[in-house]
Amino acid sequence: MTSLRNLEYEQLWLNAHTDTRAAVYTFSSCITLADLNADGDFKLIVADLGTGSTNVKLKVYKGTSLHSETALLDVPTGVVSFYMDFSEPRMPAIAVASGSNIYIYKNMRPYFKFSLPSMDVNPLEKDLWMQVREEQIEVGVLMELLNNLRLEIGFAQLSTQSQHLLAQDPTTVPSFVQQYCKVPIKRQTVVTCVTTLKKALADEKAVSCLVVGTESGEILVLDPEAFTILEKIKLCHQESSTLIVPAVLSAFGLHAVEFRIVAACRDGSLRLARRGWTESKLLVQLPAQPVAMTVSPENASITIALMNQTLQCFSKKGKLQWVVTLPAAACALCPIPLPHQSTTLVAVSLNGGLLQLYNGRQLVDVIKAPQSVSGLVFGKFGQEENALIMFTVDGSLLVKILKRTAHFNLQGGSTSANVVPGVAQQIKLQIPKKTRLFLDQTMRERDNCVMMHRTFQRDLFQLRVDVARACVQALQSCNNPISLEGAEPVKLSAQVLGLGPLFKMVITLQNISASTLIQDIGILFHFDDKMYSMEKPFIKVPILLPGVEYPYETMIRNISELALSDQIRVMVVREGQTQPVLAAIINMPVCDLLGMV
Amino acid sequence: MGLFDKLVTLFGLRKQEVKVLVVGLNNSGKTTVLNHFKSEDDKSTEIVPTVGFNIEKFKNQNVGFTALDMSGQGRYRDLWEFYYKDCQGIIFVVDSSDRLRLAVVRHELDLLLQHPDVSSRALPILFLANKMDQRDALSSVKIASGLGLDRILDKPWHICASNAITGEGLEEGVTWFTQQVRQVGQPGNRPNRTGPLASGKNN
Ligand SMILES: Nc1nc2c(ncn2[C@@H]2O[C@H](COP(=O)(O)OP(=O)(O)OP(=O)(O)O)[C@@H](O)[C@H]2O)c(=O)[nH]1
Ligand SMILES: [Mg+2]
Repeated sequence: MTSLRNLEYEQLWLNAHTDTRAAVYTFSSCITLADLNADGDFKLIVADLGTGSTNVKLKVYKGTSLHSETALLDVPTGVVSFYMDFSEPRMPAIAVASGSNIYIYKNMRPYFKFSLPSMDVNPLEKDLWMQVREEQIEVGVLMELLNNLRLEIGFAQLSTQSQHLLAQDPTTVPSFVQQYCKVPIKRQTVVTCVTTLKKALADEKAVSCLVVGTESGEILVLDPEAFTILEKIKLCHQESSTLIVPAVLSAFGLHAVEFRIVAACRDGSLRLARRGWTESKLLVQLPAQPVAMTVSPENASITIALMNQTLQCFSKKGKLQWVVTLPAAACALCPIPLPHQSTTLVAVSLNGGLLQLYNGRQLVDVIKAPQSVSGLVFGKFGQEENALIMFTVDGSLLVKILKRTAHFNLQGGSTSANVVPGVAQQIKLQIPKKTRLFLDQTMRERDNCVMMHRTFQRDLFQLRVDVARACVQALQSCNNPISLEGAEPVKLSAQVLGLGPLFKMVITLQNISASTLIQDIGILFHFDDKMYSMEKPFIKVPILLPGVEYPYETMIRNISELALSDQIRVMVVREGQTQPVLAAIINMPVCDLLGMV
Repeated sequence: MGLFDKLVTLFGLRKQEVKVLVVGLNNSGKTTVLNHFKSEDDKSTEIVPTVGFNIEKFKNQNVGFTALDMSGQGRYRDLWEFYYKDCQGIIFVVDSSDRLRLAVVRHELDLLLQHPDVSSRALPILFLANKMDQRDALSSVKIASGLGLDRILDKPWHICASNAITGEGLEEGVTWFTQQVRQVGQPGNRPNRTGPLASGKNN
């Protein structure tokens, strides 16, 4: 099936580099790409877990060659690069989380160590250890009482020292107690995952805060310069005693403005924390434990690979969007942004060495690796913008580069048979992709909105002025009771009869041409409707024969309560012509007040 | 220069103008190479990544070159093909220390060679394996085999290692190149053109 499929995909990737002897054993969370020397040559920084206890190293690759390596004291859980400050040249710092510390490297030299704050030790436990020290109780009693305490408050609430003691072989217990009863007992948590969050500006090289997930079920946001805890978010409710430990974190937004942190937790819950929250909110309980996660920066939708061989997507509110069943267990996942196709693919590496690239839930490409890929990152490497870096479980390093001409077939109609169908929201609407032109225009509109609005307003007013002028001109240009020019040589005379408030107006039209007939004209009265009401404001005129006088009558009532008079404009208009043929102004007589009463 | 050459030049019989296209990935050193050929007062001291392209003029062995210094950044590389038609030779600059992107160079070269405006003509191509001073630079032989240059049978091509900052290796390359374009561009069989942009736009 897969080999068949492979044939369908044209080769979109270039094999840039393969090093089967790299002997780097790592995971996606321990790989990062950064412009370490601020020279535009992006380095690959990877924490090599070695055997899990020895050979733990932080390695830097410059292009295809190993540039430097630094020994690490403990097994790392995460490596991120971030800008700590605004100093020039803009060199990013590297943060390596391991144990309860975060080691910061600048210019690949140790710069700072941040230790997670120690936690309160149970007073009873403290007391017990003190009593042992002062030889008030036996070691056996200590063991027994600690065991009781464990049952009461849970193993996780004990100090590291007590935890170790309880895990000791009975033969080594006395010597262990001997050794450790003198040191003050401490309870410290460890870092489970780490990510970054832009502090106040969104640009690529803006200063970022570290976001740290801990074994004690908390998310800490650290200030990048002072390393103070800016934000502390509990993952579980205060009352409940079960710990919810974050396994994968994803943060986006700006710390100073608004941010969201999505945590996929070890208990299979997907949780959200936002600015100002002290506790996280459950988004959804996943059907299985998370493997890897990515959150789309555009619509905040969450794509997550689970241990039940599925890839699932949730809306930012935690609503299930789609589920794709994977042919094998997922090992790693990374987003592949494609700005020229205005989409972001998700690459999922599977057990066995297959890599599948999804656009939404549609499979668009398949890459084969010789072994399962445990560490997968896409981004800028060296001078190359679109490099896919893969570390396999047997320690090889593979680099593939997306061809410049690569075009993923995103509209490919056939959806995979594995997709869970049925939900109405899963129907894929054929919404055309936004074009580059559209995006550019949107950007331009956003940047110059004030100017554009002003220009528009100015043009609108200009248009109105022009219209008003043209109108006035049209009305004035033919203020003449006799029209000689054009096809309508007409003469108009008007007469007002009566004392008011009811008047009779008689309009007489005469065709003064020698032989032409005049048709399709009418008489229009223009007046103030607060002053007068008119029986027939428009009179349609039949054919005018030359020489004959045609009288037309209409009644006018003065409805004004004041004894005022106004002008009435009479226009002879032709159908389908904006300019009147001729026009006249009639000064209405003042109406006789006596008649009104 | 021989007496005959001098006479020929004096009478303006062989005043040749040649248009060359300078391509290669970004950061390979194209602008730096061209900067080397410019006269002392035209030389720019600071070289920044090219945007779009620049037009540079220089002389070598009595041939006037109009060089189109193309930008090698991914988003500008699709501009290259518009100028294939109008050039009489191509200088392809390769950063020999950028082993990671050798596959990308090969891909771009394939696209270039397959283009109808190039595949149909015997355009001379000069490959410069630049940045030979870098510690991890590949030799010109390795570059030639990495790019599969032996596949090019219908065009004169030449590769030489260079250092665009000191100018090392550039003379050799450009001497070869000048000879090639001279042969191709003898008066009479050279089509008449107006400006570097004119035919790119009209055709
Ligand atoms: N060591 C060394 N550095 C070089 C050499 N040639 C160029 N450079 C450096 O490489 C960098 C890039 O050179 P450019 O000439 O701007 O490269 P380009 O090919 O024009 O790049 P774009 O315009 O972006 O396509 C500059 O910092 C040069 O100083 C060389 O032979 N040796
Ligand atoms: Mg340049």
